[in-house]
This record gives sequence, structure tokens and C-alpha cells, in this order.
Amino acid sequence: MLEHELLINIWFVLWCVIWAIYLVVDSFSLGAGMLAAFMPKNAGQLVQLAKSVGPFWSGNQVWLILAAGGTFAAFPLIFSRMFTWLYIPMMLLLIAIILRGICIELIYDGSNKKLQKVFQYGWALGSLLITVVLGVAFTNFFRGMVIEPGYVYAGTLLGLFNVHALLGALLFVLFFVTSGALWAAHKTTGELSQKCAKFAKTPAIGVAVAALIYIIALFNTDGFAVNYNDYQFFYAVPLIAVVFALACIVLTLKKSDKPFLGFLANLGTIFFGAATGVVTLYPAILKSSISPEFGVSIFDAASSHLTLTLMFYAAVILVPIVLVYQLWSYTRFKEKIAEGEH
Amino acid sequence: MIDLTDIVLLSRFQFAITVFFHFIFVPLTLGLGAVVASFEVAYWKTKKEKWMKLAKFWGNLFKINFAFGIVTGFAMTFQFGTNWGPYAEFMGDVFASPLALEALIAFFLEGTFFGIWYFTSHKKPLLKAFSMVMVSVGTMISALWIITANAFMQNPVGYEMAADGSKILLTNFGELMTNPYLWYMLSHTLLAAYFLSAVFLVAISGYHILKKSNADIFRISLKIGVYIMVISALLLPGLGMFYGHYVGEVQPVKAAAIEGVWESGADKPMYLIQVPSDSQGKNIIELLPIPYVGSFLLTGDFRGEVTGLNDIAEEDRPPVALTFFSFRIMVVLGIAFILQAFAGLFLVLRDPTMESSKARKFMKLAIYSLPLPYIAIALGWVVAEVGRQPWIVYGLFRTSDAVSTIPAIQIIFSMGLLVLFYLLLFVLFLYLLKKAIVAGPEGVQEHA
Repeated sequence: MLEHELLINIWFVLWCVIWAIYLVVDSFSLGAGMLAAFMPKNAGQLVQLAKSVGPFWSGNQVWLILAAGGTFAAFPLIFSRMFTWLYIPMMLLLIAIILRGICIELIYDGSNKKLQKVFQYGWALGSLLITVVLGVAFTNFFRGMVIEPGYVYAGTLLGLFNVHALLGALLFVLFFVTSGALWAAHKTTGELSQKCAKFAKTPAIGVAVAALIYIIALFNTDGFAVNYNDYQFFYAVPLIAVVFALACIVLTLKKSDKPFLGFLANLGTIFFGAATGVVTLYPAILKSSISPEFGVSIFDAASSHLTLTLMFYAAVILVPIVLVYQLWSYTRFKEKIAEGEH
Repeated sequence: MIDLTDIVLLSRFQFAITVFFHFIFVPLTLGLGAVVASFEVAYWKTKKEKWMKLAKFWGNLFKINFAFGIVTGFAMTFQFGTNWGPYAEFMGDVFASPLALEALIAFFLEGTFFGIWYFTSHKKPLLKAFSMVMVSVGTMISALWIITANAFMQNPVGYEMAADGSKILLTNFGELMTNPYLWYMLSHTLLAAYFLSAVFLVAISGYHILKKSNADIFRISLKIGVYIMVISALLLPGLGMFYGHYVGEVQPVKAAAIEGVWESGADKPMYLIQVPSDSQGKNIIELLPIPYVGSFLLTGDFRGEVTGLNDIAEEDRPPVALTFFSFRIMVVLGIAFILQAFAGLFLVLRDPTMESSKARKFMKLAIYSLPLPYIAIALGWVVAEVGRQPWIVYGLFRTSDAVSTIPAIQIIFSMGLLVLFYLLLFVLFLYLLKKAIVAGPEGVQEHA
């Protein structure tokens, strides 16, 4: 049996890893969704774009549900407060998830052109909303929320959408659009592929610019850098993210015939970018911007030893199995997708 | 009138709306999913075209239903946090593990393999069949976990109260899984889902047989539907009886509300016509008693001793009339389903072509009867969840203590948004379903 404190720490790491996987794997389906608003020239290209993520997005989205369910199982108090305090954003996220999911599953049938248009913009709007809420929420987590003693939230709805959070939303949009464009460029053929490869250059550079401002603003936020100062080797994480971001720019500009390389680099940036933020949360996933001791610490929020042990073994056994069959599913759809007849 | 500042009521309404909307799609996901998986396997094994046609047509309807079903399910998980925060904190240690396991085991299977199935053509029948089987298995595992969680709310087991009384802690996961409530509820839910799916098969097959389009194919699915109807319609009340006795044992107050028993005592009759009144604390109409049957239904013993609602403090009683009538109507529908199933069996066995005028009438009636199993299932959930009130966890935690302190206006806003959105989605769902049904097997496009 593992010691309780160790188990809680392991669950914090698992929490971070599950979120980072989610952001990585849904980045390109959300990105493709946002591109759907303006990239496809016609219905044939729209279906082509949708098919590039069609077989994968719904399995990828489950990582979000696992992130929520895992938070609930390991840290019920954090789950409860996170969702209650972000009530309106969470409700918007819910509606966006439903909108995106239904639109993308039904977009392929071209027999009703008007409805297909509705699904096209529904898919785009849903994807944009999910991305924006995630960007706003994570920025607020990284900055710390207005938490008073006794886990009382004293912030306002408008306060959640501060300038920094909006910059976070923009950053997430740029990340995901880059991801979606490079994936579509890799996965499709013909005009759409070329357009996406060309388009990706702008958000790839945009990511670097926005991320730089965003990170500087974060490190200037009270309490953000505590863990970095205590454990200086953590500085490696943002450094790796920067290397990936630069690699992504170079690959996207110089190797536009091989968009998959730039795509992988961008995923690396997302993973380590997310890690850059989440390492500062420890030991409180919900930090307080008023004073560190008011945050909801994982040690106060953790489930019992039995629950954590049980869920730990479940995760250790099942997550690799899931990863294996999800990766296998990509090998079932190797062919590049051509423009449909429409 | 609804008090618009009562956040408990508002949150309950919002939860009810989202869960009932979600459950429109659940039964077909479970039942039709298994049927489509069987068609896919039959095609892979035999390579006969009829199985492929059936798999394509019914798979297409499954697909539409699944697209709406999966994502609307997220609404409950979200609300445990947004609207039921104190509940999440009190229950999380026990309740959240099944939910997380559901995501880990079931949702990943469903989500990943649905994508594979959707985009695989029948030129690869093995992969097509295998992925659909995985989806179907995923849906059933999902049902198992979510009902494990619900069964705990009905009959809490395998836990202890934390020293400070602020929350409960898991002590025995095995007890959670061997909770008898789980297995009664799961079998009842699955059987009801299979019955509904069978009526769906019969009604839509009948529509095409009546139209004489692909009648040879649809006679197969009609026959399969009728057989499933007969088996599930018979098993439902059979198992339901034991389920009822068990509810009488572990949830005596809910059981008393189900039968409208106000005064404690033995040898209780059942009244065929009965109208309970919450405000008067008695039945205002009691006609046509059947001696001892009331006692039998609640205890399994014709002379059994039953606790009446008037011996329960008023604040510990559920809404009696709502629970009572929901149960009664469900049971009446259940009896009608048995008659319908046997009428179908009789007709199919006598003339498999279904061309007699009686068979035509049966098929027409089946189309109009399609909403009934949906209503019966919804009422069943009303009995289970409203009958559990005022407890959110039976005997342990009150619904009124479980709600997050959210400004009422925000709940009204989110609920209004959801209702509008869901109405649009429901119209869209009916439109797409109808279109796919009318188009028949020829109208199905494959996206591989």
C-alpha cells in the first residue's frame, strides 16, 4: 500500500497528465472545428475537413470527461468548488460540448444543404466556445481565484473574464487552430491541404507572440512563480515548451510539405505549455489570489485512502490500454482524405 | 406556483429536464445498439446481403440517436458540480469512483469504437462488426456504472460516516458492486430499454412493410422485434415483482407511496381505482379492492405488515400522488405491452408475411404506440427518483442540503438556455430520424 500523502501527490500528477492529454488530443478536432467557419470553399471541402477528425474526436473528448470524473473521484471538494464557482462558464461549456458533438456527427449528409450549413457553423461555434471557456478557466486557475477563508468564492462573473483570461482564450484559440490546420494539411489532399498548410503559418507565429506576453503576465502575477523559485529545475518545462514552439514555427514555415512534423511540434508546445501552468498550482488546484493559505489544497480535498488507491490502480491499468487502442484506431485510418463530390 | 427564488427547486427542475432529455436517447443506444451489433456480426459471418442492408439501415438510425445521446449525458456530470456541490463533497468519496470508472472503461470504448465503426465500410466486415460490438459492450458497461452510483443513492452500502460527519467514506467497494438495488435496477432498466428498442424495430419495420418497400428485409427485423418484445414484456413484471418486494424492504416509505398506503397494518388490499391526496393524508377515492394483494406487492407476503405514510413524519415523505400515479400508469402500460407483444407473436407465427388485415392493423398501431414505452420509462424514473425524496441519498442526506448556493437568476438563465437549446435539438432529432426512416436502406450513405 502506498502512503496517503504520496498517493495524493500521485493523483495531482495524474490530474495534470490527464488534462494535458486532453488539451493535446482535442486540440486538433477543436481547431478543425474553428477552421470550418471559413476554410472550406464548398461542401466537399467541409466534409473533407470533418472527415480528417471524424473517426477520432469522440474518443478524444472522453479525456475531458475523465478529467472531470477524475477530479470528482480524487478531489471531490475541488470538483465541487470548481464547477460551482464557474457556474455560467461551465454551463456554456456544456452547451458548447453538446453543440459541437451533434453538429460534427451529422455534418456528412449533404442531402439538405441548409442544414449542413447549420452544422458547419454549429461545429465552428461549439469548438470556439469550448476553446474560449478552457482558456479563460485555466488562466483563472493559474492566476488564482478570489477565494476567501473557508473556501468562499468572492469573485464576480465579469472578473473571470479579465484581460489576462481573454488573452488566455486567444492563446488557446491560436494553439488549437494551428493544431487543426496542420492536422488537416497532413490528413487531406488537394486544395484544402495546401490552404491549411499555408494558413497554419500565421497562428503558429501568433502562438509564440501571444504565449510570450501571456507567460510574462503570469510570472508577474503574485504567487505564480513560487514553485519555480522553490524548485528551479521546473524552469526546464517552459523552456521545452519554447523549444517546441520555435520548432513548430520553423517546421511550419520551412517544411510546409510535411505538416505532420509541425503538427507534432505544436502538440509538444501544448503539452509542455499546459505543464508550465499546472506545476504552479501545487498544492492547491484552486489557488487563492488573496493569500496562498486560502486556496483549496489537494490535501484537504483528497478522497479517502481506499478510494485513491482503487482509482490509482484503475488508472494505471486502464489508461495505457485506452492509449493503445486509441493509437491503434489511428492506424485504421491511414489514407489521406480527398475532397468529396458536392 | 413555482417559487423562482427556491434554488433547491430550480436545481431539481434543471436536473430533471437534463436527465429526462438525455434518457430519450439512452434506451435505443442500449437496445438498438445490441441489435445493430448482431446484424454486423451476422453479415461478417455469412456475407449475406440482407444482413448488410439491415445493419446499414438500423445502424444509420442508431447513429443519429447516438449523436444526441452521448453528448447530452455530460449534462449530469457537470451538474453534480455546478448545482449539487455539497452533494458532491458529501458523496464524492463513494459516488465519484463509479463515474470515473464509467469514463475510463465505458466512454472510451464507446467513443473510440463508434468513430471506427462510423468510418469503416462494409468492405471490412470484421472491423465493422468488431467495432460495433465494442460500442454496444461499452453502452452496457456504462449502464452498469451509472446505476451502481444511482443504487447507492437508493440504498447506501459499503461506506462509513467521516469522524466529523461532513462526508461519507468508502469502506468496501465490493459491497457497492453487490448492492442488490444495483442488480434489480440494472436488469429493470436494460429490459425496459430492450423492450422500447423492440417496439422501435417493430413500428419502423411495419411502416416499411406497409409501404411495401424492402418488405423482405423488414420482415426479418419485425420478427426479431416481436420476439424481443415478448421476452422483455414478460420478464419486466416478473422481475419487477421481486424489485417491488425489495423496495418495500429497503425503502418502506417509497413503497408505501407507490401503493398509496396511509395507515399501517397487515392484510392490506390493493384498490384497482384509488386516488391518494398529499394534502389530506389519505386516499380520497378507494374502489374495487383486491384483498391481500397490497400486502403481497410490498412485502411478498399476502398477510404482510406494511408501514403506512401517516406513521412517517410529513417531512420524510415523498410527493405521494406523483409517485403513486407514475407507478400505476407504468404498470398499466406494462400490461398493455404484454398484450401488444403477444398479439404480435400470434400474427408473426400465423402469417410471417404480415399481409393479413389484422397484421396491417397491428403494424399501424405499433407506429402510434411508439411513444408509450418512452413514457413508461420516464414514469419509472419518476417513481425511482421522486419516490426517493426528500432524500438525495436515502435516509442519509437530504436533497435540500445538497444544493449549491448559486444566485437563482443564474440557474434560471442556464435552465432557460438549456430548455431552448433542447427544444431545438429535439425538433432536429425528430426531423433527422423521420428522414432516415422514410429514406429506407437505399438512403444510407457510408462515409468510409
